[in-house]
Amino acid sequence: MSKQDSVLEYDLTIGLIAMEGRGFEYPTDMVVGRDGRLYVPNRARDLGERGVRVTVTDIDSEYYGTFAHHGQGDGDMISPMCIAEDSRARLYVTDDHTHRVSVFDYEGNFIRAWGERGDGAGQFNGPSGIAVDADDNIYIADTHNDRVQKFTAGGEFISEFGSSGGGAGEFNMPWGVTVAPNGDLYIADWGNDRIQRFSSGSAGSSGSSGCEFVAAYGKSGRGDGELLRPSGVAIDERGYMYVSDWGNERLQVFDADGVFVQKLRGEAGLSKWAANFLEINREEGEARAKSNLEPALQVDDADDPHTQSAYIEKYFWGPMSVKLDDAGRVYVTDGNRHRIQVYRRTGN
Amino acid sequence: MGRQDRGRQDGNKQDIELMAHLMRRAGFGATQAEIEACVERGYEATVERLLDTGNAQWLGDFMVRRFDLEASGMINYPGSARKWLYRMVTSDAPLQEKMTLFWHGIFATGMPKVINGRVLSDQVDMFRRYGMGKFDKLLLELAKNPAMIVWLDNQDNHKDAINENWGRELLELFSMGVGNYSEDDIKECARAFTGWTIGNTEYMMVRSARDSDWPYGRIDYYFEYRAEDHDDGEKTFLGQTGNFDGEDIINIICQQEATARFIARHMYHFFVADEPPVPAWPYTPPRDEAAIDMLAQVYFDSDYDITAMLRALLNSDFFKAEEARYEKVKGPAEFAVGILRMTREFEMPNREMINRFRQINWMGQELNNPPSVEGWHQGVEWIDTGTLMERINFASEQLGDVDKPGVRDMVNSIIVDGDGVDGDGMDGRNGTRSEMMVSRCLEQMGALAVSDDTRDALLSVAAQDGDERQNVTQMLRLTAASKEFQRS
Repeated sequence: MSKQDSVLEYDLTIGLIAMEGRGFEYPTDMVVGRDGRLYVPNRARDLGERGVRVTVTDIDSEYYGTFAHHGQGDGDMISPMCIAEDSRARLYVTDDHTHRVSVFDYEGNFIRAWGERGDGAGQFNGPSGIAVDADDNIYIADTHNDRVQKFTAGGEFISEFGSSGGGAGEFNMPWGVTVAPNGDLYIADWGNDRIQRFSSGSAGSSGSSGCEFVAAYGKSGRGDGELLRPSGVAIDERGYMYVSDWGNERLQVFDADGVFVQKLRGEAGLSKWAANFLEINREEGEARAKSNLEPALQVDDADDPHTQSAYIEKYFWGPMSVKLDDAGRVYVTDGNRHRIQVYRRTGN
Repeated sequence: MGRQDRGRQDGNKQDIELMAHLMRRAGFGATQAEIEACVERGYEATVERLLDTGNAQWLGDFMVRRFDLEASGMINYPGSARKWLYRMVTSDAPLQEKMTLFWHGIFATGMPKVINGRVLSDQVDMFRRYGMGKFDKLLLELAKNPAMIVWLDNQDNHKDAINENWGRELLELFSMGVGNYSEDDIKECARAFTGWTIGNTEYMMVRSARDSDWPYGRIDYYFEYRAEDHDDGEKTFLGQTGNFDGEDIINIICQQEATARFIARHMYHFFVADEPPVPAWPYTPPRDEAAIDMLAQVYFDSDYDITAMLRALLNSDFFKAEEARYEKVKGPAEFAVGILRMTREFEMPNREMINRFRQINWMGQELNNPPSVEGWHQGVEWIDTGTLMERINFASEQLGDVDKPGVRDMVNSIIVDGDGVDGDGMDGRNGTRSEMMVSRCLEQMGALAVSDDTRDALLSVAAQDGDERQNVTQMLRLTAASKEFQRS
């Protein structure tokens, strides 16, 4: 495929900053449930007594409520990070402060939790990315232990792989995890500026994961196909890779061979909730309408994407994860902008 | 021990104590090992290293942003302050951070009017970038800084209706001081800065007035010059006449003897010895007129170069003098950062920084939210019964926690290995085991020189029966509560 073919087009935006209730506050990830609803964990600001929650909405911005609020008890969270769903409609949320995984049903009822701080089997030091395979095995990026752990849906440790370093199969603070349609595992190897791919193999026993290193994609940089601290990765049925290139504040698309295809800086428009806010708060809406929200920047560090995104609201600013649905949509959780930008895969 | 050896030992002790003084004032203190390495390097070479900030290393932007999202999005000021604290606590260029703190105290800008943590953080970054360069460049960047523009209402300073707020404070608090200009100069100064505003002024001010972060968080402010709103007519300012704009005004300000002395006195106040609060300066001569004369001369000789002034100050006899040591009360941020660098609690970002920021606030200094445009009154005004308790509790809590890697290392370094070390002992010093532990404790706390009373109190703890590790942590906590440690 030729470079910079357009495989993604902007579709819509979901979200509005809100310290509680309808909206998001520093969303960290999302998952499209089998019920079609979007489940969005929010980390909130500072101590997060109000804003920590999972917001439930859908592609039409219908609001269904929240669950899992701030705290240390069963079903509570302090610093939620990532979310995944299994085949039995159970939602798994990692928390990198309490070092545990909490499991909920669609109604937000707490089912179970596991994990504690440590570096032993089944322990975590900052769990982040989470993914579920076709057999409902759970893979979790154990960030500060530089490894990925595999569990049963019930939270029993199966195996682990990875160690600290920059070599094949080694990690530097891994973040996003995804299971490809063919069963391979892809890890956003944050500190090494790359995506690593592993064959899922057969679930090993006695600590042998059965996961074999297959390939690494990307190298450090800001150019096309280069990565800077990637946070997440998603794989479609063709093997195309969608990478939330967090340090470059963009989304990149690669083909199945890892060849660069497209990059996007973000095209967010007004979500239904945002439009509603500006209609009600007319003074702000009118002032906004007269503003230039895409100024030519003459500031220090104007070539730094993070700086650009602070000024230009439509750009990604802290793209925390990328997820796909079965309808050809690509969802980017846009953390610092408290929204989800949705793109549509062309040709689907 | 022979006389020659004793003389060498005394000389080394003096070198260590002088270097410890330098590292407290030009940084946030240093470990014994760092101080010894500096002594090995030499005093002037160490000053040069402190002044060289070209390749400063710290925990890093990515690391902080990944784990502290509000230190990335910065809706509010605590997030922006935390990012700065991470940098102060982990930077290997401590003088750069000290100077950033210095300018934040003078060009004090805060949340109540700016209502945007990111904009405040940009100002801190600007101080870091330009704060050790030429003063005229720094003032120009300040005049264009969106946080300052909003803080002092320059977005309301129009060609046909001037607002004097920025012009007045530029002269009174930021460059020359009261008594060196007239009310007419203020008006002419304000005219020269008409049209210096921020982009999307109306929308940003509506959001600010409503403390609105909707719909998608804060949007950063940028400087915008509006030619149609600028008064380009003739102005007479400080005796000079021309069609001045803001840059011309800053150039004229920087030519003034009053500006040189004002900046020199601020530097003396911050680095050498406490001066009275700025409003008293017109009526109170400097503590050391000759020092101010010298620094003002360097200001002109170097074309207003702050680094040249720092070099002259840090190498001066008045800075090195024994009577200058432990004379300054540490500011809350300086005090806390010094301790956090010792404990190494933040080798990785963690949520405890939220509490550390709050604790510094309780000690009387809320970063990115000073009490007024005058900043904080410093020196002994940092201390009252409430803030002193906060300082002591903070130090005691942090240094008493052996789970923190730095504390654990300090404890291990202080405990004397083996039994019965009570004669001629370690490092060639004479003394009992308890005396040796006290000496080591003071070394670990940054080569601290303490009074006999403080030393006796430490000795009594060191000599206690019971768990030696507990005794040592108690010594660390007691040392942190000493009047010497509270001072710089």
